[in-house]
Amino acid sequence: MSRKNNQIPLFEGVDRVAIILYLLLVLSGLTCITSVSFEDATITDFFSFSRFHIKQAVWACIAAVMALCILLLDSRYYHMYAYYAYAVGVLLITGTIILPEALAPTLNGAKAWYSFGSFVVQPVEFTKITVALAVARLMSNYNYSIKRLGDLIHVGFIILLPLTIIILQNDTGSGVVLCSFIFVLYREGLNKWICIPAILVAALFIFSFLFTPLFLLMILILIFTFSNAMMIGQWKVHIIFLATIALCSFLLHTATSWFCAEALSGYACLVITVIAAAVFAAIYALRKNIAQIFLSLGLFLGSMLFVPTADKIFESVLQPHQKLRILSFLGIMSDPKGADYNVNQAKIAIGSGGLLGKGFMQGTQNKYFVPEKETDFIFCTVGEEWGFLGVLFVLGLLCALILRLMKMGERQEEPFGRIYSYCVASILLFHALVNIGMTVGLMPVMGIPLPFLSYGGSSLVAFTILVFIAIRLDASPRNGLMRMR
Amino acid sequence: MSNNDAHTRQVILRSIVIGIFLIIACKVGYIQIIDTKYKRMAASNVLRYEVQYAPRGEVVDRNGEFIVQSKECYDLMVVWRDISKQGFDTMRLCSAADITKEKLVRELKNARMTPRAPHLIKNYVSQEAKLRFEEHSFPGFYTIKRTVRQYPRKIGGNLLGNLGEVNDNDIKRGGGEYKMGDYIGRSGLERAYEKYLRGKDGVKILERDAHGAIKASYMDGMFDTLPIPGKKITSTIDVRLQAFAEELMAGKIGAVVAIEPATGEILVMASSPTFDPDDMVGSDRGNNYMRMLNDPKKPMFNRAVQAKYPPGSTFKLVQGLVGLQEGVLTPANAYPCHGGYHYGSKKMGCHPHASPLDLRNAVAQSCNAYFCYVFRDIIEARKFTDVKEGLDKWVEYVKSFGYGRKLDSDFLDEQKGYVPDAAFYNRVYRGSWNSYTVLSLSIGQGELGCTPLQMANLAAIVANRGYYYIPHIVKAIEGQDSIDRRFYEKQYAMVDSKHFEPIVEGMWKGANIPGAGTSYRAYLPGWDVCGKTGTAQNPIGRDHSTFLSFAPKDNPKIAISVYVEHGGFGASAALPIASLLEEMYLTDTITRPQLVEQVKNLPYYLPARYQNVKKK
Repeated sequence: MSRKNNQIPLFEGVDRVAIILYLLLVLSGLTCITSVSFEDATITDFFSFSRFHIKQAVWACIAAVMALCILLLDSRYYHMYAYYAYAVGVLLITGTIILPEALAPTLNGAKAWYSFGSFVVQPVEFTKITVALAVARLMSNYNYSIKRLGDLIHVGFIILLPLTIIILQNDTGSGVVLCSFIFVLYREGLNKWICIPAILVAALFIFSFLFTPLFLLMILILIFTFSNAMMIGQWKVHIIFLATIALCSFLLHTATSWFCAEALSGYACLVITVIAAAVFAAIYALRKNIAQIFLSLGLFLGSMLFVPTADKIFESVLQPHQKLRILSFLGIMSDPKGADYNVNQAKIAIGSGGLLGKGFMQGTQNKYFVPEKETDFIFCTVGEEWGFLGVLFVLGLLCALILRLMKMGERQEEPFGRIYSYCVASILLFHALVNIGMTVGLMPVMGIPLPFLSYGGSSLVAFTILVFIAIRLDASPRNGLMRMR
Repeated sequence: MSNNDAHTRQVILRSIVIGIFLIIACKVGYIQIIDTKYKRMAASNVLRYEVQYAPRGEVVDRNGEFIVQSKECYDLMVVWRDISKQGFDTMRLCSAADITKEKLVRELKNARMTPRAPHLIKNYVSQEAKLRFEEHSFPGFYTIKRTVRQYPRKIGGNLLGNLGEVNDNDIKRGGGEYKMGDYIGRSGLERAYEKYLRGKDGVKILERDAHGAIKASYMDGMFDTLPIPGKKITSTIDVRLQAFAEELMAGKIGAVVAIEPATGEILVMASSPTFDPDDMVGSDRGNNYMRMLNDPKKPMFNRAVQAKYPPGSTFKLVQGLVGLQEGVLTPANAYPCHGGYHYGSKKMGCHPHASPLDLRNAVAQSCNAYFCYVFRDIIEARKFTDVKEGLDKWVEYVKSFGYGRKLDSDFLDEQKGYVPDAAFYNRVYRGSWNSYTVLSLSIGQGELGCTPLQMANLAAIVANRGYYYIPHIVKAIEGQDSIDRRFYEKQYAMVDSKHFEPIVEGMWKGANIPGAGTSYRAYLPGWDVCGKTGTAQNPIGRDHSTFLSFAPKDNPKIAISVYVEHGGFGASAALPIASLLEEMYLTDTITRPQLVEQVKNLPYYLPARYQNVKKK
């Protein structure tokens, strides 16, 4: 072995595709931030340090240095120090709660910041990394099996401890990010009958605030049809029939709500449709001997009951202040100007972009009407100035990076690297989904940044570290880590 | 975990990732490409709509002289976010725009709440101040041209009415016609003809560029609209006469209304005390308004159409006409009068005059007893089952003369006055009353209340021998062939025209034959003035003085009613005013300057309620 004396070339084995995707995302972010920071025509100093884009550029340089350091560091250290890092991460976020206001100020209602003179750092961004490391370390143990209840509780504890502390910081949005680790757990063999209902209940509860029951029904039918088809395995055989059921039940629903609008309430129409569809599906399943379809149907019916029930409980049983508390607990922000002002302005900005966009610095909506335009709502600038093509470009970059991270995980032999990569992918996915989802009205408004694009030093550096550790682990000699232990 | 299972899970996770991004892409595509709603909303976000205020219509009198003009003035506006970040010279702005620093600071603080919306700093900025302001450049500040009212002759405060800024109710009722900051007619002619005077505001659409600066007119002004000025209105008022009437009424409380009988056009409508309409314009409006509101003489109360006065003896004309029409009276009927009308142990007093008198002389002499007989005969006539039915018939007659109901003139705040009917007395006297109980009605006293406009209208009815046109204040509206059709329709009183002759002759006699009646002072050589004095008793002070007249006797040109509260005898205060106005209108000259002086220096005492009792 020629590399015995630690002379591993720096970029040996490093995944160049991931790095290029990362660089493109950071550049896109810088461009957008530059554009929105030119709100005021009277200021002409491009290189002023008071400008967001200059600050962000400085942060990008710091991030680059961090990335280099990570690539220089031997990958086994991440495995070795994972638990210590976890402990530090938890201590950091605990510190923001304990420390006085002077050191840990409350910003945007969340006591989640450290203040160093003129700039502030949000430790939760770094805690995410340490949690990912700890989860990877724990789950990569030889004798770890997620199918054992004790082990499951163990990993659950590792995730839920920081999550609780983050919620205590009143920064629910960031805390909920950790829930995305269920993605990792599923990959590592968590029973799908734990995952699916959990995700379903959470999703339905959130979406029942955003969509009408009809829209939810359509989504549910689609999801169940396809998931069923995929679970059955020979999906090509069954999908046509299942699609027919889906289509029929949708048509049936439309018909009943048209013709029986006076006699039946909207919900009654829904129930009729669902029962009819269920009968069809049950007959089909019996004839073909498909057991799984019953589980699916059960879930489907259950969620059909759940949506209006949750709605009803929320509307009638709870007091107004309790509702507000639940909404803010979920991180669904209260709307200062009413009538979804923020989201509406965000949609206007994106919608005004059209196919090709207005061009760099030519946006008007993003500068004057969109709130938090350089941080949480940076995607509006992409939409308005770069148009739909630009949106596809950025979405493509994010999607490709996530898929790439998953692929990088899969090709590693060591579970540590794989689990860590999946953790990173799930964190990025969650951020992208919630952030972009909220700007286009698919998700309730939660204040979490868009990875690499949103303005903010902590988030840029933290995401850089997150991704580059994965790249480092992936670049290690395929058999290096475990052998060296 | 088997390899196969791991692979399945990988595939599922990968599809979830791709699925999520596809859903987001679809949603963005929908917003950006399919749904055009957001592009429209974006356009309205970046456009600035600048209102081009329409100048309000002007008003001229019947001879074409301006009564109300529109004067240019400016609103100083600010858009907070356009203010230069380096700050600006506050003192210079203050001195240029005539504004105190405190007010500027206060308004800027308000403007900051809505940084993108135009905010009013100061209204009624004069043209000179605006020019001064424009010599300097204050980014973010700009002026909007508006018009304010200006009154060249400073007359007719209540008649012309005033403007006020719209409130929430007006905006709601206007259904999109009005927006915050608009003016609306609050009373008088301004209110009645609001829709013609107002015009239509235009809009200029300006577009911002990506730096938020105003770039240019949007789409080269394709969607801009020009303001449509309000219509000019020709009023029926004769300003010279109106000014003279206000001059004569100065210091007195009451009202003068003069009507052209052949058309129903109001020549004069003076309510006294009045106010300078210019006081209701500009930045002092609020203070002046409050001052007038607290004035015990209530200058903003348009007595000409809103006051409820007892008509006094002028009402005897109606009494005589109804008697003739009902057949209970002939012109030759004579009744005795020995110092009044005696019933039971009581007496309705009368002033000394020859006795007995026939109808003509009774009108000329204004005999109280005579009309008590007439009134009793009307309501106690055999054809009625009882006096109640008689009274209701009488009420029907009286209402046909325009009393006790709105005349439907173009004054929206016109009042009905009051004519008591049988139901009223049944309520008050629990059903037990007779013709003696209501006897004061016979001489225009008691519960009777009528507006000066209704009295002038009676003069017009008598002048026309039985009909009237609804009195109105507007002669013509620019761009329209005619005014409302109701002003062209003859309204008949329920008395045939043949019955008017003796009454008219009585009125003529009183004013033209010395010693034959109470109104000889109204004599104008060659003009055949007909008149009827009235002296109305009231519980709070000296008698009200009223005079009702028209001239000439044949082909009358002017019908007039003057009412002076607490003016004493009809002949002492109201008559000379009416006579001078008639002379002025008919001959354009004043031959009796000593009478003018006399009217102006009339000893005049007001009861306590009109004194300014509030001490501070």
